[in-house]
Amino acid sequence: MDETDRKILNMLQRDFPIEAEPFRRIGEKVGLSEAEVLKRVEKLKDEGIIRRIGAVFVTKKLGYASTLCAAEVPEETIGNFIDVVNSYKGVTHNYRRNHRYNIWFTLIASSDDEIGKILGEIEDKTGISGILDMRATKQFKIDATFDM
Amino acid sequence: MITEEEIAVASCIQEDISLERRPFAAIGVRIGMEEGDVIDTINGLRERGIIRKFGAIVRHRKAGYSENAMILWAVPEEDLEKAGRSLASYREISHCYGRTPPFEGKYTLFSMLHLAKGEAEELVRKISETIAINDYLILRSEEEYKKTSMGYF
Repeated sequence: MDETDRKILNMLQRDFPIEAEPFRRIGEKVGLSEAEVLKRVEKLKDEGIIRRIGAVFVTKKLGYASTLCAAEVPEETIGNFIDVVNSYKGVTHNYRRNHRYNIWFTLIASSDDEIGKILGEIEDKTGISGILDMRATKQFKIDATFDM
Repeated sequence: MITEEEIAVASCIQEDISLERRPFAAIGVRIGMEEGDVIDTINGLRERGIIRKFGAIVRHRKAGYSENAMILWAVPEEDLEKAGRSLASYREISHCYGRTPPFEGKYTLFSMLHLAKGEAEELVRKISETIAINDYLILRSEEEYKKTSMGYF
């Protein structure tokens, strides 16, 4: 990644032009042709630095509910637990963390009740009980952009 | 709340736009809409706060942010607002929420920390002094099992 890539990446994250020819506009700002910008963006995607380019929706405004879950899963059953949890499309993040509660995942579903239902299913399928369901009551910040 | 036309556009942009000269025209072709209408629809969804952000989502680890941790703070209910706002002001903190029920009965404030380099401990100690909360947990991500975007539509 060179300085131009960093500039492009910052612009793609913060100021993606919603207009007919967005990559030409970015090119104007960084002094590159549209084709050169597209080539660099493709490379950043191939390298896995860019996961995707698109919209991030506000879960609540679409009428969905979300929560953060934590589970205490014995080492030998982690593989199965992860498979079951990850099979739900509403599970968007799932990490192992350094705590007795070792598996932490986020869950989005169409309603509060649906979240409860899914967690019940996960407990039934995996035999792991006592999964914590910690709902956000206050949102102080959500800004997943990274300065390059 | 959200029209059929908006849902059609939303279902395309919840994924990945195509890397080509006119990506919004390409979406238009997919769903039978004019390029200009696709653009207006996206802008409308943004103005109504249904879209939080439009642009590149980066993999922070690959982009050089190697230190990533969830920090949980034991903040009494009456101090939550103040501590939350203070945490939000740090560039290194990307997400900050008050949650209930509290983890282990006392950790009410949850934050995600990302650092390009250096030690998370040091920054967390400084933040801890600033918000006057010295009971906290640093939960590092040891392994990533899933990281994706929600398919709503």
